Amino acid sequence: MADEEDGNEYRWETGYEKTWEAIKEDDDGMLEASVAEIIQRAKRKRQAERRPNTRLGMMRHLYIILDSSEAMTDQDLKPTRQLCTAKLLEGFVEEYFDQNPISQMGIIVTRNKRAELVCELAGNGRKHVDIIKQISQGPCAGEPSLQNSLELALSSLRLLPGHASREVLVVMGSLTTCDPHDINVTIQKLKAEGVRCSVIGLAAEVKVCRQLSKETGGLYSVILDDCHFRDLLLQQVEPPPAARTQDCSLVRMGFPHHSNGTESSDASSASSNNPMSFCMCHLDVESKVDSTKLGAAGHLCPQCGSKYCELPVECRACGLTLVSAPHLARSYHHLFPVDNFLEIDAKENQQPRCFGCRRKFVELDKHAYKCGACSQIFCLDCDIFVHDTLHSCPGCTSSAKNH
Amino acid sequence: MAAMADEVETSLLVIVVDLHTRQRYLRDQPSLLMHVLDSVITLANMHLMLKTKNKVAIVGCNASNSEFLFCDADAIQPQPGQSGQSTAVRQSDGQYEIFAHLETTVKQNIKDFMQDEQSTFFEDKDCESLIAGALTLALCYINRINKEKSAGENLNSRLLILTGCAGGASQHMAYMNVFFTAQKQNIVMDVCSLEYELGLLQQGCDITGGLFLKIPQLQGLLQYLLWVFLPEPPIRKKLVLPPPARVDYRAACFCHRTLIDIGFVCSICLSIFCKFSPICTTCNTVFKPPGSLLPKKKKKQIKNVC
Ligand SMILES: [Zn+2]
Ligand SMILES: [Zn+2]
Ligand SMILES: [Zn+2]
Ligand SMILES: [Zn+2]
Ligand SMILES: [Zn+2]
Repeated sequence: MADEEDGNEYRWETGYEKTWEAIKEDDDGMLEASVAEIIQRAKRKRQAERRPNTRLGMMRHLYIILDSSEAMTDQDLKPTRQLCTAKLLEGFVEEYFDQNPISQMGIIVTRNKRAELVCELAGNGRKHVDIIKQISQGPCAGEPSLQNSLELALSSLRLLPGHASREVLVVMGSLTTCDPHDINVTIQKLKAEGVRCSVIGLAAEVKVCRQLSKETGGLYSVILDDCHFRDLLLQQVEPPPAARTQDCSLVRMGFPHHSNGTESSDASSASSNNPMSFCMCHLDVESKVDSTKLGAAGHLCPQCGSKYCELPVECRACGLTLVSAPHLARSYHHLFPVDNFLEIDAKENQQPRCFGCRRKFVELDKHAYKCGACSQIFCLDCDIFVHDTLHSCPGCTSSAKNH
Repeated sequence: MAAMADEVETSLLVIVVDLHTRQRYLRDQPSLLMHVLDSVITLANMHLMLKTKNKVAIVGCNASNSEFLFCDADAIQPQPGQSGQSTAVRQSDGQYEIFAHLETTVKQNIKDFMQDEQSTFFEDKDCESLIAGALTLALCYINRINKEKSAGENLNSRLLILTGCAGGASQHMAYMNVFFTAQKQNIVMDVCSLEYELGLLQQGCDITGGLFLKIPQLQGLLQYLLWVFLPEPPIRKKLVLPPPARVDYRAACFCHRTLIDIGFVCSICLSIFCKFSPICTTCNTVFKPPGSLLPKKKKKQIKNVC
C-alpha cells in the first residue's frame, strides 16, 4: 500500500498551489466565480483519481491525535488554530460516521509532553462532537509528544481483531515533538501492526511526520489555509484501501427489530404491549438514567434480548455487533460508485439544459459532462453532486433502457 | 446580523407523480388520471399561494422514463420592457395567470410524456415505475435551487411521492442513495400511497422524518393532500396526523433476499449473507475459517442483566 501511494502524496497539494497562481492572474472581477470553479475542478480531479473496485478497509478504527500544545494558540487560522481545528473536526466526525457507518473513532490529545486518551474507540459521532467541543475550551500548553500519543493509540489498536482497519490521523500544529525514546522504533511497530498513519500539519513540513506517514502508508500534507484544511480532512473520510496485514473475514452481526416508531420516539409514544425497560447503553451512567430512557422503544439484540437505544453497538451481554440494514447500505456506494462522467467541450454539447437540475447552459460553461452509460449531459455542479453526494446517476436511474 | 430580521422562510415542494399505466386505478378507470392530476395541481397551487416566494416542481415517472413536468424552466418569462422591480406588481394581479400557466404546462407535458411511453411500450409487465430516478432528478434540482437562493432566504425543500404501484426492489440501491442524500440535506420525504403498504418507501420516510400515508380511497385524495401534505413539517407536530408506521429494518441477505435477524457480513465490502461461505460473492474475497472470528479484546461485561 505504501508503494502505491508513493509520489502521489503531493499531487493534490501541488494542484492546489497552482490554483493560487491562476487566481492571481485572473483579476477582472470574476475572482469569486473562478475560485469556486477551480475548487470544483480540483474535486473532479480527485474523483477521477479514485480507483474503483480496490478492496477497502470498511470497518475502520481511527484514532485522531490532536495537538493541544502552545503552538495551537497561534492565530494564523481564525480565530485560533485550536478553535478552527475543533470546528473543522466536528464536521469531519459527522462525515466520517455518515460514510463509514460501522466504524469507530477515538481521540487522543497531547500537551505538556504527555498524551491523554479523551475518547475511547466508539461508534457514535455525537459523543465525539461533544468531546471536541470540550477540548476546544481546554488549555493549550507546552510541547506535544508525538511518540507518546502514537504509543497510546497503538496500545489500543493492536488489540483489535484482524479484519479491523487500523488508522491514526495526527493534526499537528507544533513543529517540534518531545519524545522519550527513538520514535523510529515506534514507527516500525506501527508499520508491523498495519496501522496507517496520516498527518495534517498546520505550520510547515516536519521530517518525522513525513517519515511516519511514508513508512505506514498514510498521507502527509501541510495546510495552506482553512479551506484546504477542510479538504484534507474530507480526504480522510473515504475508506482507505485494505492494508495487506488486514485479515478478511465474515463477521457475525445482528439486525435488531426496530421495536417502535422512529429512533427518537420517547416513552410516551411507546406501544403498550412492550414492557418498559432500561436500555443497556444507559445502565452504567446512573446519573443519566432518567425517565426518558425508560421505555418500550429500542432495539433488541436478536441473540440475547438486551435492549439498546442506538445502533450500531456491540452487545454488552453477548458481544454480537448490532447494526441496521440501512447502516450497511450507507456504505455500498463506496463499492458501486458512479463511473466518472466524460468532460466534453461546450461546443459539442447539443443539449440546451442540464439533464439533472434543468439549468440552462450558458456561455460561461466551458464544459459539459456526459455519463458514459446513459449519454445524458450534466452541468459541473450536478457532476460534483452526483459523485460526491448522491452516488446514483439521474440519467441511468431515469430510463428503463439502463436497467 | 441585521439579516436575521429579513430572513424569509420559503419552501420548495417537489412532487413526484407516478404515471405508470399499470397502476390499478388507471387500468380500471383511466379517467381517474385527470382526477389525480387535478388534485396534484391544486396542491401545487395552494403551496404557491401560501407564500409568494414558495416554489414548486413536478416530476413524472413511469416504467420507461422519469422527467420534469414542471420546473423553473417552465416558469412564465418576464415580458420584455418590464424590469425586475415590477415583478412584485405582477404577482398581485398575476396570481391566476401563474396558476393557469402551471395547469396548462403540466397537462401539456404529461401528454407528451404519456405518448413517449406508448411509443416505447414495454413488454415486461412487471417492470416498476422509475420513482427512484424521479427522486434523483428532484434532488439535483433542489441542489441547484438551494445554491441559487438569495442571501437571507431560508429555503426548506421537501419531496412528496404519489404512487399506486407496489415494489421498488429493483432500484433498491438508488432508493437508499436518495434517502441518505435527502437526510443529509434535511429534505423531508413524504409518501402518499394510493394502494399499497410500501416497505422501502416507509424506510425512506422514517429516515428523512417524513410521513407515509396509504389513503383508504381515491375519491378523497385532494382532502388528504391538503390536510396532511400541505402543512410544512414544523407545523405538523401541532396537527393530529396518522401515527408513524412500524418500519422493518431487518437486513435481506444478498444470497436469497430473505429477511434475517443474525447474519454474516463481509469485512471488505459489507455484503450480508445468511450462512457462512468461504468466499464473498460480491468482492471475491476468500475468508478465514469461522474459528478465528472472535475478537481478542473482551470488553468489561456487565453483570446482573435481568
Ligand atoms: Zn446480545
Ligand atoms: Zn445540473
Ligand atoms: Zn448515467
Ligand atoms: Zn441468504
Ligand atoms: Zn465482500
